[in-house]
Amino acid sequence: MQRFNFPVVQPDPALEDLRGELQAFLKEEREAGNFRPEPECWMAAADPKFSRKMGKRGWIGLTWSSQYGGHDKSALERYIVTEETLRSGAPVAAHWIADRQHAPMLLAHGTEEQKLDILPRIAAGECYFAIGLSEPGAGSDLANVKTKAEKVPEGWKVNGQKIWSSGAHMCHYMVALLRTSPADGRNRHVGLSQIMIDLSLPGVTIKPIVDLSGDAHFNEVYFEDVIVPDDCLLGEEGGGWKQVTGELAMERSGPERFLSSYITLETALHQLNGKMGSDSHARLGKLIASLRTLKGMSWGIANLLDQGVSPETEAALVKDLGNRLENDLTQQVRAMLNDLPSEDWSPDMRRIMNIGVLRSPPNTLRGGTTEVMRGITARQLGLR
Amino acid sequence: MINTEGMVAETATKIYTDLCARDVPHEAEAGRYPQALWDALTENGLPLAWVSEANGGFGADYDETFGAIWASAQAASPVPFAETLIANWMLDRAGLAPADGSASFALSGHTPSADIPFGMHADKIVLFDEAHHEISLFDNRLAVRSPEESLSPDGMTQFIFSGHLAEQSAKTDLSRRAIEALILTVRAVQMAAAMESALNMSIDYVTQREQFGRPLSKFQAIQQQLAVAASECAAATMAATQAASAIARHADDPEQAWHEAVVAKVQIGHSIEAVTVPFHQVHGAMGYTQEYDLHHYTRRLWAWRDALGNEHHWSKRLGETLAVTSPDHVWKGVTTGQWIAS
Repeated sequence: MQRFNFPVVQPDPALEDLRGELQAFLKEEREAGNFRPEPECWMAAADPKFSRKMGKRGWIGLTWSSQYGGHDKSALERYIVTEETLRSGAPVAAHWIADRQHAPMLLAHGTEEQKLDILPRIAAGECYFAIGLSEPGAGSDLANVKTKAEKVPEGWKVNGQKIWSSGAHMCHYMVALLRTSPADGRNRHVGLSQIMIDLSLPGVTIKPIVDLSGDAHFNEVYFEDVIVPDDCLLGEEGGGWKQVTGELAMERSGPERFLSSYITLETALHQLNGKMGSDSHARLGKLIASLRTLKGMSWGIANLLDQGVSPETEAALVKDLGNRLENDLTQQVRAMLNDLPSEDWSPDMRRIMNIGVLRSPPNTLRGGTTEVMRGITARQLGLR
Repeated sequence: MINTEGMVAETATKIYTDLCARDVPHEAEAGRYPQALWDALTENGLPLAWVSEANGGFGADYDETFGAIWASAQAASPVPFAETLIANWMLDRAGLAPADGSASFALSGHTPSADIPFGMHADKIVLFDEAHHEISLFDNRLAVRSPEESLSPDGMTQFIFSGHLAEQSAKTDLSRRAIEALILTVRAVQMAAAMESALNMSIDYVTQREQFGRPLSKFQAIQQQLAVAASECAAATMAATQAASAIARHADDPEQAWHEAVVAKVQIGHSIEAVTVPFHQVHGAMGYTQEYDLHHYTRRLWAWRDALGNEHHWSKRLGETLAVTSPDHVWKGVTTGQWIAS
């Protein structure tokens, strides 16, 4: 009957116990001054010390087995952890990407040795991964990958450049999409492979790129005759494109796609306590309705992922709607704050709002642009 | 849930498929009321779905009945099916027998009159009188019926309660919020269903219609417009489904479902402009004609958006309610759908 598959899931009291534990921990850390909350924390607020604390509590690596340092919990429990850390604007960027997508990738395609070596370190909050998809000439045309890996007796020899790799300067590994054989005529999706590269290898150079907020969380990464062992090829040689599109569903549907700026609203609610005018009430009602709806959609996808289904189009929908909402949230909160003379804003409110504005442009770019998301949806609608 | 595969939903779907083909809504608007459609719904007992067995109904599952409402909206039902379901539910909750025939509803605080959807056709009117905690049944056939201006093809009339004697009345422990929860949820389900039908029509149209030597669907500008509309439709379905689930979960105390119902009304109300504009845009002038079917959906969407308060009204109501709770409670509602009443 319905065009898209978004199951509705009833609340689960067991999950709410976990939520309570997280809330208590995050409140304590924040009140102790161990972090200052910020929007877009999963991209730009990295603190290895905080990541290790999360690791000790068992909140990284929830989904994989204890044999590999994990905690045998469901993807839904992991979802609660991501939701609560986003809400509090906690510094989770160091471990976020490894926990979200590279650990599952290693579980699926890594050697036993790699799993035993790397996964426990990820779960401990000590080992970080960077995404190696974008290249200077590729951008949204992701298949236009030029960085090459050539077969050599010692393994693979990598040459080229990746860009916009968040956190690469502090990461231990990058999983890069590389051209391992020439494109087959016009089909650029063949001949691409995923290779895990130890970023401490000779020939790797990492240069920070400063963004307009003054942060330097993303990087240019250069590879010059970097020799990577054979067993670092993840999955099938030439199967990289298919693997990447599967991974993107995981990347696009999570709560980070619509909750990255929630801290801005939450801070404003504390500020505006009892001082909100009717215009602000209307803005608040609209924002909350959208957030609640997006949560339902994202949660539906999380449940499908938990059952092993990877709904690519639904994920694209959540990302498109969620990114729009995030940027709208910052704008609506700016308007709501007019109810309070600006000299009454707390320093935190001012700082969080400024960060929110400065970090808003990439919302609709990272993980695939809005236009690309709509292209995926249009294909599903049978228009392409 | 909105379960379109249950028996109630499937029976409704079959009746609408058989007796509400595309000419039926057109004819209804021209004044030929589809009595056969209404009779089939009644013969199958569907308007009694939410009436308890003790009261002569069959106490059907909420999920399946929402599936039946989904089917009726997708067929652009020109009979007061959803309205009768709501009216009979209100009667049942006051311990009164269901209406004999079709019915519509009104909520009244202090006003002596109300605008009634399907007011020209409904046999009975059920009124919730908030001030006296009372539900009353009136005979609409005895009223002076004259149509009011309405966006909806289903029409609306005013019913002036003063001077009319109720056929039956009873006290109810239902609150206004409990009744609002059900009505807003039913409207949300109808809106989500109508949006999807209009999306489907739009996709079919751009795939068939050629301009500049190729189908409209091959133009990226068209693809992007419909992709945005489709994402709004998916969100509308989610919002309606969450509200429907809340009603089912809180069947004994529907007031508890109020926030989820308001969320759905706000979310969908705000998306209606975002979908009806592209639907009409991609149809060109064809979508603006009386002859074509698109307006059966878009006019109802515009009417339902305003019914019982528009999206601005409900955004403000929701915001006011949330502004006086703690940010912790707001977060709990967003993440779990469990809202603290205030």
